Amino acid sequence: MNTRRLGPLLVQYVILLIGILFALYPLWFIFLASGRVGNRLYSVNLPGMFVPIDWTADNYRTMLFEIPFLQWMKNSLIVAGTTTLACLLICTSAAFAFSRFRFRGREAGLILFLAIQAFPGVLALVPQAQILGALGLYGSRLGLILAYTSFTLVFCTWNLKGYFDTIPIDLEEAGRIDGCGPVQSFLLIALPLARPALAVTAMFGFFSGWGEYPLASVLIPAPDAAKTVPVGMYGLATTQSIPWGLFAAGALMLLVPLMIVFTYLQQFLESGLTLGGVKG
Amino acid sequence: MVGWSGTRKAVTVLAFILPTLLGVILFNIYPMLYNVFISFTNRNQFHPNADCTDTLSSVIEPTCWAFTGAKPPQGLADPFRIISPLLDNYNTLMGNLIKPESLTSLLILVVWFVPVIAALWVDRQQHRKAQRTIPTGAIWLAALVAFVALFYLLKVGQNLQQLTDSGAFFAVVFRTALYVAACIPLFLLVGLTFALILNNEHLPGRTFFRVALILPWGVSTSSIIAALVWQFFFREQGTINQVLQALIISYKPFAFLNNNFWAFFAVTIVNVWMTYPFFMVVILGALQSIPKEQYEAADVDGASWLTKLRHITLPLIRPAIMPAIVLSSITTFQMFGTAWAITRGGPIQGAGKPGATEFVMVYAYKQVFETRAYGRMGAFAVIIFILLFVATLYSLRVTRITKGAYE
Repeated sequence: MNTRRLGPLLVQYVILLIGILFALYPLWFIFLASGRVGNRLYSVNLPGMFVPIDWTADNYRTMLFEIPFLQWMKNSLIVAGTTTLACLLICTSAAFAFSRFRFRGREAGLILFLAIQAFPGVLALVPQAQILGALGLYGSRLGLILAYTSFTLVFCTWNLKGYFDTIPIDLEEAGRIDGCGPVQSFLLIALPLARPALAVTAMFGFFSGWGEYPLASVLIPAPDAAKTVPVGMYGLATTQSIPWGLFAAGALMLLVPLMIVFTYLQQFLESGLTLGGVKG
Repeated sequence: MVGWSGTRKAVTVLAFILPTLLGVILFNIYPMLYNVFISFTNRNQFHPNADCTDTLSSVIEPTCWAFTGAKPPQGLADPFRIISPLLDNYNTLMGNLIKPESLTSLLILVVWFVPVIAALWVDRQQHRKAQRTIPTGAIWLAALVAFVALFYLLKVGQNLQQLTDSGAFFAVVFRTALYVAACIPLFLLVGLTFALILNNEHLPGRTFFRVALILPWGVSTSSIIAALVWQFFFREQGTINQVLQALIISYKPFAFLNNNFWAFFAVTIVNVWMTYPFFMVVILGALQSIPKEQYEAADVDGASWLTKLRHITLPLIRPAIMPAIVLSSITTFQMFGTAWAITRGGPIQGAGKPGATEFVMVYAYKQVFETRAYGRMGAFAVIIFILLFVATLYSLRVTRITKGAYE
């Protein structure tokens, strides 16, 4: 091993280790809670916070077989997946226009997009639900998809615009010499080079559509088979008792598709895409 | 694109932007207008329904739109109407702030910040000159001295107290602003550190670390559980106290959540835990746009990693991460779930006064569910919106992120 690089490498691993402890200990705690008998989220005795004592898989069995958890998971996957696709389709064109074209109202449009985020989103829930109802989308997954996509519109457009700004304009000018119009330079030049930003947008779209509770509970409150996972899970809570064990098991199982999606997308976070395109 | 104009350009630009614009109009602008309308009415638990015979209501209120087949709700109660002193809701919320004492206090606060703004301005002037006449260190030292001096001369502490006592509004907004100012640098620090480390291709196990470190973002989608788990850590019989008791003999359990500072700290830490993966991902994406030759050229000149960070990495990822910072500030300002789950609005500071962690949305939630005063909450939303809008506009000037590729 190259001993000159060992020092910095060791420091990096120590930082990563501290980060892992910070990030994962609460998750480990949830894992312990998901196996605890009696549906208690906490355990007041010290070893029980770190090692599985009396751990059973009962909650997982209940969640998977007796409760329509998998059905809810399927609904959530459809909603989140479609949100991701819609997000990618809609935001990329707008971001490209804001970055490359010069037109009246460009700056005003950008500022508008940013500023409307300043409105407290929670209080916008009721009008949004009412609009979706008026469009006839009450109780349908399409309504949720539309709403979730609109949540991500502003951030994704801005993020992509920022990334497009860093792609040198020379590449598109070179393309224009060969006769590329605006649509072609968007599809053939800018999009392939923006893969890292597209991956971030896809991640953001998926994560936004995945665990959202307030709007989903208003839009799809029943029947059981049509609910998404958060609505279903919190619906398990009755006035007498809250099944923390089931919640903990559900929360951990919710993480699995997220990890799969992220592992797939993070490979696109690669550099060197614009290397060698145009000199200077 | 140069050399194109007229109808063809207009149509193409519109085609690119239209879907996003439509979505924004429908799901962002319409709810805003609706809330503004509600803020001028007296909608609350006694007047819950809309009056569809009134022209304005029949246009804005979706339950009055006949074409959708929705029937206007019937009830025994009076429908809500536009109220007679039009700005009554606003007055109830902010009335105390318009009094002369409060306005002078606000003015004093603004004057207190003048040295900082002056230092920024002078610094930028000097930066533009061919040769600096005043070094950066001297500017900031002078600003610091002036800042501290003014604090005592203008009795800023007293004035702040007076403003906080004048009503819940200022206290809540100020506390939330403090919370945002504490969270954002932490997000950046943690996200930047991890992104820089995980950007290195030669790090074995890179994918594993990336996936592991992103998990808090995933769990925060079921944020209630995560927030409750963290709340348990800070309890008197919670993990932190028990671990410290086991390690230190004479340690007595400390009630973190009953102490103003520690409750605030706890909510901040949990927020950092939930949000740093988002920043890590955005920064990782931005890091990919930096060409490797820049680093190689710096290596040839013998630059240390700190120099490379300051002069290559940070300036080049700036346009890509600034939007994330601005948007994240806005979202953190409006954050509700975490603070509510951990402290329910924080250690109480007195009857009728907001608690130590009662942020803007927690305050709004308490008001709505205690008095169901939708009209007043509409007014609150509009005021917060105006505040954040102005802050955003100012930040756009400072960060210059609206520039396009041609500028």
